[in-house]
Amino acid sequence: MALTLDLIHADVADALGEDPADIPVDENLLDYGLDSVRIMALLERWRRDHGVDAGFADLAEAPAIEAWAPLLGVG
Amino acid sequence: MTTPLTAAARPSHEAGAGAGLPLSAAQSGMWYAQALDPLSPAQNTAECLEIAGPLAPEVFAVALRRVTAEADALRVRVTDTPDGPRQHLLAEVEPPLSVHDVRGAADADAAAETWMRADLAEPCDLAAGPPFRHALFRVGDERWLWYQRIHHLVMDGFGYSLLVRRTAEVYSALVRGEEPGPRAFGSLADLVAQDAVYRASEACAADRDHWRTAFADRPEAPRLAGRGALPSRTFLRTTAHLSPESAERLRELAAGLRATWPDALIAAQALYTSRACDRADVVLGLPMMGRLGSVALRVPGMVMNVLPLRLSVTPEATFAQLVRQVVLGIREARRHQRYRYESLRRDLGLLGEARGLVGPLVNVMPFDYGAEFAGAWARARNLSAGPVEDLTVNIYDRADGRGLRIDHDGNPALYDGDALASHQERFLNLLERLTATDPQQPLATHAIATPAERALVIEEFNRTDHEVPPTTLIGPIEARAARSPDATALVFGDTALTYGQLNARANRLARHLQGLGAGPGKLVAVSVPRSVELVVALLAVLKSGAAYLPLAPDYPARRLTYMLQDAAPVCAVTDHAGRLPSDAGTPLVALDTLDLSGYLPVNPARALTPSHPAYVIYTSGSTGRPKGVVVSHGAIDNRLRWMQHAYPLGAGDRVLQKTPSSFDVSVWEFFWPLRAGAALVVAEPGVHKDPVRLARLITERSVTTCHFVPSMLQVFLAAPRADGCTALRQVFASGEALPRETATLFARTLPGAALHNLYGPTEAAVDVSYHACAADGSGPVPIGRPVWNTRLYVLDAARQPCPPGVPGELFLAGRQLADGYLHRPELTAERFVADPFGAPGGRMYRTGDLARWTAAGEVEYLGRTDHQVKLRGQRIELGEIEAALTARPGVDGACALVREDGAGEQRLIGYVTGGADPAAVRAELAVALPEHMVPAAVVALDVFPLTPNGKLDRAALPAPVFGGSGAARRPVGAREATVTRLFAEVLGVADAGPDDAFFDLGGTSLLAVRLVARIREECGAELTIGSLFEAPTPAALAARLDTAAPAAGDALDVVLPLRAEGVRPPLFAFHPAGGLSWCYAGLSARLSPDQPLYGIQARGLLDDGPLPPDLETQAAGYVRALRAVRPHGPYRLLGWSVGGILAHTVAVLLQEAGEEVELLALLDAFPAEQWRERSAPEEGDALTAVLRMAGFDRTDERTREDVLATLRRAGSPLAGLGDHTLSRIVDIVPHHARMMRAHRHRRFEGDVVFFTAAAPRAEDWLTREAWRPHVSGRIVNHDLDCTHPQLMREKQWDAIAAVLAPHLTDTAG
Repeated sequence: MALTLDLIHADVADALGEDPADIPVDENLLDYGLDSVRIMALLERWRRDHGVDAGFADLAEAPAIEAWAPLLGVG
Repeated sequence: MTTPLTAAARPSHEAGAGAGLPLSAAQSGMWYAQALDPLSPAQNTAECLEIAGPLAPEVFAVALRRVTAEADALRVRVTDTPDGPRQHLLAEVEPPLSVHDVRGAADADAAAETWMRADLAEPCDLAAGPPFRHALFRVGDERWLWYQRIHHLVMDGFGYSLLVRRTAEVYSALVRGEEPGPRAFGSLADLVAQDAVYRASEACAADRDHWRTAFADRPEAPRLAGRGALPSRTFLRTTAHLSPESAERLRELAAGLRATWPDALIAAQALYTSRACDRADVVLGLPMMGRLGSVALRVPGMVMNVLPLRLSVTPEATFAQLVRQVVLGIREARRHQRYRYESLRRDLGLLGEARGLVGPLVNVMPFDYGAEFAGAWARARNLSAGPVEDLTVNIYDRADGRGLRIDHDGNPALYDGDALASHQERFLNLLERLTATDPQQPLATHAIATPAERALVIEEFNRTDHEVPPTTLIGPIEARAARSPDATALVFGDTALTYGQLNARANRLARHLQGLGAGPGKLVAVSVPRSVELVVALLAVLKSGAAYLPLAPDYPARRLTYMLQDAAPVCAVTDHAGRLPSDAGTPLVALDTLDLSGYLPVNPARALTPSHPAYVIYTSGSTGRPKGVVVSHGAIDNRLRWMQHAYPLGAGDRVLQKTPSSFDVSVWEFFWPLRAGAALVVAEPGVHKDPVRLARLITERSVTTCHFVPSMLQVFLAAPRADGCTALRQVFASGEALPRETATLFARTLPGAALHNLYGPTEAAVDVSYHACAADGSGPVPIGRPVWNTRLYVLDAARQPCPPGVPGELFLAGRQLADGYLHRPELTAERFVADPFGAPGGRMYRTGDLARWTAAGEVEYLGRTDHQVKLRGQRIELGEIEAALTARPGVDGACALVREDGAGEQRLIGYVTGGADPAAVRAELAVALPEHMVPAAVVALDVFPLTPNGKLDRAALPAPVFGGSGAARRPVGAREATVTRLFAEVLGVADAGPDDAFFDLGGTSLLAVRLVARIREECGAELTIGSLFEAPTPAALAARLDTAAPAAGDALDVVLPLRAEGVRPPLFAFHPAGGLSWCYAGLSARLSPDQPLYGIQARGLLDDGPLPPDLETQAAGYVRALRAVRPHGPYRLLGWSVGGILAHTVAVLLQEAGEEVELLALLDAFPAEQWRERSAPEEGDALTAVLRMAGFDRTDERTREDVLATLRRAGSPLAGLGDHTLSRIVDIVPHHARMMRAHRHRRFEGDVVFFTAAAPRAEDWLTREAWRPHVSGRIVNHDLDCTHPQLMREKQWDAIAAVLAPHLTDTAG
């Protein structure tokens, strides 16, 4: 199943223990509690379920949903 | 606030290449730490990778060369330059690599490990470079160990992971014969540039503000060792694993709480730390990689930071709530994560060993490297993670199937291997239990003790069950009287009573009391000074079946009335009518007019059982009302039976009774010897405060057994004839903490006697624990093990047992517990609670004492948990003092505390707000409260200082001598700021202003030495103690440092202005025999701020000029000096010791010249003729005197050179004087003695204010009455409880200043 922006949004909110409505897509996720453990957990989930091949550093370098979308193969 | 997503503009890589790059803030921290101890290897970090598979060392070497070329950080040399440290990037560095085949070794891994440890212990020279090295060990045919060691200044943990993965990638490609992918690392210059941009940014300023606000109250760092230390050169490590099953449960637990397992682990550590340190406010340190959202993600280097995480851990909260706090706390911290930990500590003034911001560090490394060397998997193991300041818990999640690896790294200055292992075992045990418990349960469910530790501290240490017969306090005494009626029971002065006589007298009085209604369950007050009659009265009350209520004869009437009304005894026995106030309406039995001849001298009948009360003793009450503790016969009988078993008394023993009957120690003094057939030696009233008379009494009466409060024991042992008490075979100490020094001095002074430290509150029949002091013991003296049928519990905030070594509150259970507080059921229920560890229905008493178990099963006393204090063995509830203060008219709010000044003196201080005059408030308290409960000073405040969360900030209450500028301006300039900070640091005050004078803030000469040393250290400036007298404020001192003006010798001039400002007629204080007036510095702070104070000092301290031929000439010279300051009277004069003689002589000269002298104050000074017959001291004595001036006893110093050497060695302020001046003092002391003996006093017209050092002295022939012929008016005396030298101590200055105040008014100006 292909990853979508909405799915990314939902997964990120889930990892942060927040409601998706409270997580803007264009803001720094570090301010919302994203940390390396959570990034790794998300990455593992997306690799397993969606065959994503981005690296940890790619995501960690620019931690925002919009910035992640192209890295995760979402147009 | 949003962290920028993109890195700052990239500078060119070549920028600054010639001059080298500056260090980033993170690197600077490491640089300065290394510079402090250049030979320390502590900053070596190292890892060992086990590679399971074939490895080609030559290919590996090529890979390393390539990675080194890619990683800038490895190719730096760091040098110190005038502009600060710089890192120079080298184009090429050959990586140091050695290859070792250790397959032949008996234990190949061990051989490799030994090599690694040795390498790790070698300090790294950053200027020489390279800052790393590699080694390969072939430990098996297809098993290799790759050791890499890198200096922490260039690499952190995340950097290692980048290096390892890249090395594996390059190696694998080379093995496959492929060209490795291009360099993936960012440059070091980028890192440094990004750091510089941040430091100059508004974000940095905002981060700093955030942290400074969050820690504005500077919470005490929770330290598992109970103290801090600087990092050592090495660290201790214990390693354990959390099983894969438990690790999985931890993950599930965390997931269920919408958290990650590191969050849960941090919460567990917070819980552990909170309990182990007995604190609810816990600050942990979290090492953070600090790279998310940054170019640093691709740069191997030193970036990591430590973030403080502040948590509130209470027993009522659940683990789920604690984890949530962690999640939110980290989220908040992360927003400010770029601000350096070192900077924050510096901002808060929390650098150094005694200060800190965080407790344990929790360092979670949640990823495995996943490195693969051409198909061979590698497993990483950290060998050193850098310096350990306190304790670091490193947790690694490595994909090796062994669960979580947990390394506890401890600073060996704080932990030994056992302590570290215990912390680890308990933490793992707690973690296991947390993962197996519903996280919605309150944290109180969890103890930090392991099950084995719990069994040890609850059961094993408390095996005290012992059968005792159901007897009473009095029964065994009557049995003894029947058995040996002719033995001596009591000795008092010239009186001696046999058991038969004593018993008969007590029986007659008992029968009289029974006639007045005394009997079991009833109460009879006794207020009789120490005497035969006191013992008879106490026995009589007990014989009647009633409990006795001792009332100290010297208590204020108001308090006695309160206790009589509160306790409502059936009657009160006194030695004579008028002893007790009559307004309570208690029937009085006055012994002096009582005829008992009509009563039978045989034991009276009574229906007394062990459960009836035996005595009621009042103690201080926190709500302002003293409370009566009711102790049963069964409780005290157990106590005395244990004591006779532990320290058997025989017929030949003599036990001293010297403790006031209102203090429960007296209970065993009175009754234990009478139960055992020994004799009771009753000390006359007042003797218990007089060490010399005590020593005489003990010697003359061959006392074998007695008790001392530790502070009195110290005084007693210092008394001249204490070592003559050779009959003494056992001494008991209790009532306050027994210092080891006192125990050691005891063993030296009385080698034939044993010293026993006992502990117990009034609420548990005198004592519940005991410890025999060993002559060669060291460390704190324990309060020991429980007595018979007694259990001691050390419990944490959740009332869970504390393991050995962990502080908690001491609870007591067992037969000796009091029944409770008389007529106070709520208070009784609050302090005597159900015992969850003992038999059902049992009670335990909450002592409020902080304590911990030793591993050997003894308890150590650590202090109080509440506001109860002990001053000289007397228990005081600060609440009671506060209530008394608040009750005064004009007082709005009040607070009381015990302050310890620089000299280690403890004083009770009251603080009040409102319009009341503090001096008047203190005077009123003196009427209402017993002497020991009257504050030494009452300080008026406008408002009470509050902590950020609105609580009273006790630490910020000013010292009573505080005369500082209330509205202090801020320091101007770096130097003034530094000096101001050092003032505050040395004086131990929360705030010093740049215009506050050192001595006004409570500075002493000892503190002056420390301050001067600190200023020399921090400012690198030469400064003498004299400078401080001349420039006593931070502003003045800083100005002096700036102009680099050398200190003049003004501190040695004849006139020494101790405080020159003020409009009142100055007070002139004359020097003692040594010629210096520095001893009066302590007085200035205690006088009104506009009262000037000048010291008058001997001539000839600075030069070799001739000393005055006689005292008259000397005084005439001083008159001229006085007139230079104040041409005409009125004059105010004061002098201590020889200074008193000088003051008197100067006063006479002034009066003869027609001037008015409105104050002549003599401090323990005695006129010339008292000395005339005694020989004057020679140089030998002068050396002793000089040493005494500096606070030393003379030991083996023979010559003045020896004395000078001692003073210099000890850093005495006198040593700062220079050899010439010291040498002159040695001349001046005996010269004064000679002049003084030759002097003839004339008459002073007027009154003299006199202060007597009332402690016994060797020169017992000295009397102030000798002044009579030389004084026309009155000699108004004030006794001070101290020796002659002690008069110059802080404590006495308070009293002296208070007496002088009315004489130093503003009127005459």
